[in-house]
Amino acid sequence: MTPTPPNQIPEDALRPHTYDGIQEYDKRLPNWWLYTLYVTIVFWVGYWAYYEWFRVGLNGPQAVEKAMARIEADKLAANAANKLDDASLWKMSQNAAFTAAGKATFDTTCAACHFTSMRGKSENPAAIGPDLTDTKWIHGGKPTEIYDLITKGVLAKGMPTWGPVLGAKKITEVTAYILSKHQEGEPIVLEAPAPAAAPPK
Amino acid sequence: MSDRKITVEFNDQIVRQFLLASVLWAAVGMLVGVLVASQLNFWQLNFQTAWLSFGRLRPLHTNAVIFAFVGNMMFAGVYYSTQRLVKARLASDFLSKLHFWGWQLIIVAAAITLPLGLTRGKEYAELIWPINIAVALIWVVFAVNFFWTLAKRHEPSLYVAIWFYIATIITVAMLYIVNHLSIPTSLLHSYPVFAGVQDALVQWWYGHNAVAFFLTTPILGIMYYFIPKAAERPVYSYRLSVVHFWSLVFVYIWAGPHHLLNTALPGWLQTLGMTFSLMLWAPSWGGMLNGLLTLRGRWDLLRTDPVIKFMAAAVTFYGMATFEGPLLSIKSVNALGHYTDWIIGHVHAGALGWNGFMAAGMIYWLVPRLWNKPLYSTSLANLHFWLGTVGILLYVAAMWTSGITQGVMLGATTDNGTVLAYPNFLDTLNTIRPLMLMRVVGGGLFLVGWLLLVYNLWQTLRGAQPVNGSVEFYADSHEAEGDTRLTLIGAILNPPVLFSVLGTGFACAWMFGANLVSIAGLVGTILCAILAYAHWESRGQAWGAWYDKLLVNSLPFTILTFIAVVAGGLIQIIPTVIAHRAATVEDRRQIPYSPLELAGRDIYVREGCYTCHSQMIRTLVPDVLRYGRLGVTADYSRLGESIYDHPFQWGSKRNGPDLAHVGGKYNHVWHLRHMENPRQISVGSNMPSYPWLLTSDTDVAALPGKLSVQRTLGTPYPDWTPAQIGKLVNDQAKEISADLKASGAYVAPEKEIVALIAYLQHLGKYETVAPAKPVAAK
Repeated sequence: MTPTPPNQIPEDALRPHTYDGIQEYDKRLPNWWLYTLYVTIVFWVGYWAYYEWFRVGLNGPQAVEKAMARIEADKLAANAANKLDDASLWKMSQNAAFTAAGKATFDTTCAACHFTSMRGKSENPAAIGPDLTDTKWIHGGKPTEIYDLITKGVLAKGMPTWGPVLGAKKITEVTAYILSKHQEGEPIVLEAPAPAAAPPK
Repeated sequence: MSDRKITVEFNDQIVRQFLLASVLWAAVGMLVGVLVASQLNFWQLNFQTAWLSFGRLRPLHTNAVIFAFVGNMMFAGVYYSTQRLVKARLASDFLSKLHFWGWQLIIVAAAITLPLGLTRGKEYAELIWPINIAVALIWVVFAVNFFWTLAKRHEPSLYVAIWFYIATIITVAMLYIVNHLSIPTSLLHSYPVFAGVQDALVQWWYGHNAVAFFLTTPILGIMYYFIPKAAERPVYSYRLSVVHFWSLVFVYIWAGPHHLLNTALPGWLQTLGMTFSLMLWAPSWGGMLNGLLTLRGRWDLLRTDPVIKFMAAAVTFYGMATFEGPLLSIKSVNALGHYTDWIIGHVHAGALGWNGFMAAGMIYWLVPRLWNKPLYSTSLANLHFWLGTVGILLYVAAMWTSGITQGVMLGATTDNGTVLAYPNFLDTLNTIRPLMLMRVVGGGLFLVGWLLLVYNLWQTLRGAQPVNGSVEFYADSHEAEGDTRLTLIGAILNPPVLFSVLGTGFACAWMFGANLVSIAGLVGTILCAILAYAHWESRGQAWGAWYDKLLVNSLPFTILTFIAVVAGGLIQIIPTVIAHRAATVEDRRQIPYSPLELAGRDIYVREGCYTCHSQMIRTLVPDVLRYGRLGVTADYSRLGESIYDHPFQWGSKRNGPDLAHVGGKYNHVWHLRHMENPRQISVGSNMPSYPWLLTSDTDVAALPGKLSVQRTLGTPYPDWTPAQIGKLVNDQAKEISADLKASGAYVAPEKEIVALIAYLQHLGKYETVAPAKPVAAK
């Protein structure tokens, strides 16, 4: 019901006053317009009561902490389910689907420092990342060591921690792709990083 | 009843000046807009030059469009219509001239200082403090000129356009002054008095209501004058004017926090921001209805009259934008749209559609009258309309698609929701590149349309003689004068005002009170609403008579308007300023910057990094997955993590990734190479290169002054001597420089890039504050 004053002015009556020739009708407020206003006011009362008065709804920090806890649990469960070992990673490196997926991630994510050739500092000494195609390894060259390194990163040398960003599946694929440039059983030469920066961890 | 004949000649010279200035600055502002839009697609257009880089030109674009284009247009419209609506010449020719030349001088000063990197680092409030003072003074000149004219008026009753002008003048003054409170460290630099969450709240109270009271209310007033004039039809509904004016000015102020949804802003403020934005929908549409429905009976003009075309389209775009605003204020919608191009599309629906088209309509209507010569070409004006319309639609459609696409990509996850589907930010950026290009085309078309207006005006004005309007009338002795006078008491102690004030008071008691107070507040609010309704049903006529009386008393009217606009700000800002200080912070508290890091931060602000990078990891899973640190549980930004940031740098747009916790994520040489040429590190990046940071020296001499101001503002710095500061800077810079050298890249420690790297590596460092005993943790 639209409230109207008892002595309602008839429709289309003009207000007596004119301003620089401008006149004004005094039409009733459209019902749908009034109801829009009322509904939003009622919504405000309900929303405030739900979130701020009775505090039934979770606030932002509560909601995101709950969601992140679920994600952490899922990750832990997934890690326990897929046990990765050197043999299975070598096997994956023979799988074209795996290495193609790994290459796609490598070229967008890793190539900035290691180049798409994977040759890093061998291709250009100014590169941030080392060569990944030779037999020299700074942090270990066993498949599981490579996997762990990508997951955790080496902050001091500029290698970001990719674990939370890429996830286990993509890191497995990237590892397989890197291994596809190597032979199982080839020598692994451990060496210190070329220009001595921070001591390796 | 005397029949003394009075002739008033209007000051239309000032209207012509403001109008032409508006036309000129609009072209400049839009041209810079097209350039900065192109820079996002083609990084080469930054020309490796400091003063042409995106971060410095984007503030120039926004300030030019808001304050130079719409500002001058508003002054032209306000001065033209007010003189006629109140039947009086502008009170002072001197003040009018001072207003005009002062404003133009401010614009020129802004156009010089912003590209030089002189900025306060707050959006739409970038101008440095000496210019702030000039703006405030010129605004006072405007206010005095306006209210003095009202005092000399021969038309006792105030028309609805004047209500909106009054609201504009007092509210902009209030917003501008509070948001620009700063302490200078030099003639060209200052730190805002608020920091972190307080600064964020004050900034968006200002930013949102600058849109409301600089880009909306004055233009609504202009609409209320020029649409009935151009259509020669009565305004649709006076009653709607009354209801939508008061609800608009009251509700608008509360909605500012919708710019900070899902951030570290306290939840109650976010809830207020969202719900009041929804309540703002109907009041906004009241203005649209009154504008469009005034055209009833003259819709045929849409086919023939470019003025009506522009104005009808403008009001339609206003309706579209004010529907979109509440929509974007819903927290879940905002989670998707915020920080993306959707917001850019939204503001341009307003700026190009509502402001740009209202300006064009007003100018095409005014020019023949101000120069007493028909417009050179109506068909050119029609062409302008269609070019502009197609331009806006391309622009807005591109930005909707772009924003939603990027928002969805940034939020997409795989592996049962545990991992981001597009971990590389650049994947999302490169997906929207074609849409960003479409935006350039849309904006370019709009600019071409505007240039047609410039040409049309040029041709019209050639050889034309300016004429000043005048009005003749018989002086009325106002026999009823005694009855119409309303004292201040009478303005406040009357049913409509009392019911409103009591209702608001009870509603606040319900929202913020505890237990019994809260319940009493709710009961009081409901009682107030019922009583007000009952009283209005029986005494509605008296309410109407009182309002008629209020309309002939400009001072009480102004005071009531001020009360309506001040409420929301007081209730939001005062508790925030009192409650959220470094001393009371829980959970995480920022570790203050070292002197070198502070110098680096000032470089970050100077280069306008905040125009593309936020420093706010929202309480949303995709944000935490993307920007959180390994091993830190639920690493979203806490309120305390920016508690010493004068100004806050939470940002409003992510053309690049968030930087809140970027410290330690990459090593020094990564940052060096990335700043020198981002494409060395991030293939496909659109970020400008910053080669000058490798060659200019850090301004260490300014640090003692800056640190002393920071201390005054409450950042816990010891009372270092300049020599101690110099040593601290030196030691840290040398360490970074040595590390860079070890990585094969030598940069001298005194270069700016070293300070910037120091700052970036500090981002996200906090100490954990346990309620009882503080434990340090890095």
